Amino acid sequence: MNAIEVKDLRKEFKAYSSRAGLKGAFRDLFTRNYKIVPAVNDISFTVKQGEMVGYIGENGAGKSTTIKMLTGILTPTSGEIIVNGMDPHKEREKFVRTVGVVFGQRSQLWWDIAVQESFRLLKKVYKVSDADYNSHMDHVIKTLDIEPLLDRPVRKLSLGQRMRCELAAALIHNPPLLFLDEPTIGLDVLVKLKIRDFLKEINEKYNTTILLTTHDLTDIEALCERVVMLDEGNIIYDGSLRRMKEKWAEGREIQFEFLESPELARLEAITKGLPVKWEKDEKSQVFKTVTGDDDELVSQIIAATVASLKVKDVKINEPSTEEIVRNIYERGMV
Amino acid sequence: MFYVTMFFQYIGQYMKTRLEYRTDLVVEIFSDLLSQAINLVFILVVFGHTDLLNGWTRDEIIFIYGFFLVPYALFSAFFNIWDFNERYIVKGELDRILTRPVHSLFQVILERMELESLFGACTGLIVMFYAGSRLGLELSWYDPILFLLFVLGGALVYAGIFVMLACISFWADARTSIMPMMYNIGNYGRYPVDIYNKAIRFILTWILPFAFVGVYPAAFFLGREEWYSYSFLTPVIGLLFFFLSVLVWNKGVQKYSGAGN
Repeated sequence: MNAIEVKDLRKEFKAYSSRAGLKGAFRDLFTRNYKIVPAVNDISFTVKQGEMVGYIGENGAGKSTTIKMLTGILTPTSGEIIVNGMDPHKEREKFVRTVGVVFGQRSQLWWDIAVQESFRLLKKVYKVSDADYNSHMDHVIKTLDIEPLLDRPVRKLSLGQRMRCELAAALIHNPPLLFLDEPTIGLDVLVKLKIRDFLKEINEKYNTTILLTTHDLTDIEALCERVVMLDEGNIIYDGSLRRMKEKWAEGREIQFEFLESPELARLEAITKGLPVKWEKDEKSQVFKTVTGDDDELVSQIIAATVASLKVKDVKINEPSTEEIVRNIYERGMV
Repeated sequence: MFYVTMFFQYIGQYMKTRLEYRTDLVVEIFSDLLSQAINLVFILVVFGHTDLLNGWTRDEIIFIYGFFLVPYALFSAFFNIWDFNERYIVKGELDRILTRPVHSLFQVILERMELESLFGACTGLIVMFYAGSRLGLELSWYDPILFLLFVLGGALVYAGIFVMLACISFWADARTSIMPMMYNIGNYGRYPVDIYNKAIRFILTWILPFAFVGVYPAAFFLGREEWYSYSFLTPVIGLLFFFLSVLVWNKGVQKYSGAGN
């Protein structure tokens, strides 16, 4: 069964562009320039039950808008959404019982009351029985290590503590589908790791589907098999993370630091005949060259360079996911 | 049933929050009582100078004012939505509301309730009893029941109007200053409507039916038979306006476009 089915989903916002200057402001009073801006541009995808999908894109690419449509907060301009077999905004109240939502930048908990009171209230809101609550939440609370925080009011928690509580709160009704909108934003490494481990665990234990947006690609690498990449409201990639790396990785980069900085022309003369291009980083006096996936070429370049120049340091860099993603955006490849 | 449970859950939660700040609570109750006392003195002083207003005696006018305070207190205790635009639309709090399986308006009401405002109802009752005893009004067995009905109706009229005003923010982004203006207009309902000209009377009866919060229902207890039909319309108008406002609200939520991150 598919947890999420999206077909030709589109969301347009009406933006009004103000004219410049005082005269422009007066004109705006009477006639306004409206522009229809599509935030999400006819996208289609499906997510199977139990999948963990990373939903990535730059700021303003349409990630949050999509999540808000999938959770029933926003009404789509056109297109079809079926999540957990329901149309989110049409049967909102019934639908939200089957999903959990965490917005990293907004709190779901009540600011003034103790965490456990928030939990208790949410338990009532979601009509969770005592037995279910105890068996499920005991485990959640233990794994996220929030036991000592339960009697403190939310406003006194640190960001990392709050985030763990938010996650627990989103799971009170043990939903089969979890939406996480930047859950690790601003968190330290330890908390991030804890949250990732926890997400993996509930995914395995309950086969929970997780859709995750983040700017931290290490989250995606640690959790998601599949990524959906969004740019200006369009899906520009949908597939496995590994394939994306293979497809767009530029090969490895070799960095040299020399005892005496040579001219670029000298280096090019040394590696003449090899398919390389040298670059110089003016600030750190580091010379870089990029190779393909050809292992032999790497050793050839190093051999030729070391033979004729005194080398202080050599580094071979594998491209990180982050760089790959950046490359994709910079070139706007589809 | 679920909504009744939720109502009491939220009230319980509200009490806990309040009790957490003990000094705050004491100070607040004290200041509430004080402001109600000042209110009381103010009413007596202001109306001390009027004797007869278009056929209404001073005590009758005070009685109407006292009545008005009761539904108004109920309204301000539960429909504290004057800052809805800022709090829920601009800050995006509505997103959170919409991810929970309870009607969104109901959640907003529960989150924003301010039970201290109910003290105003006590002032209102005191004023009514004071004026009532001077007028020599008698209490029949059905009066308390009708009183409750009319108070609820009046509170719903207020609620309906202000919910509809809050709904404007679903369509228009900019903040409007219409709310404070409406609070002002609401005050006209506490005076006998036949002192105004026809147009204003029509507006206060059918368009912005604030007259149903004060003068119309109060007229029943004053035994002013010429207004009885209006008095009994109070719950009807209340339900109608509130129902309408819920419809508009539902429509507005569909239109809600969310705040950016």
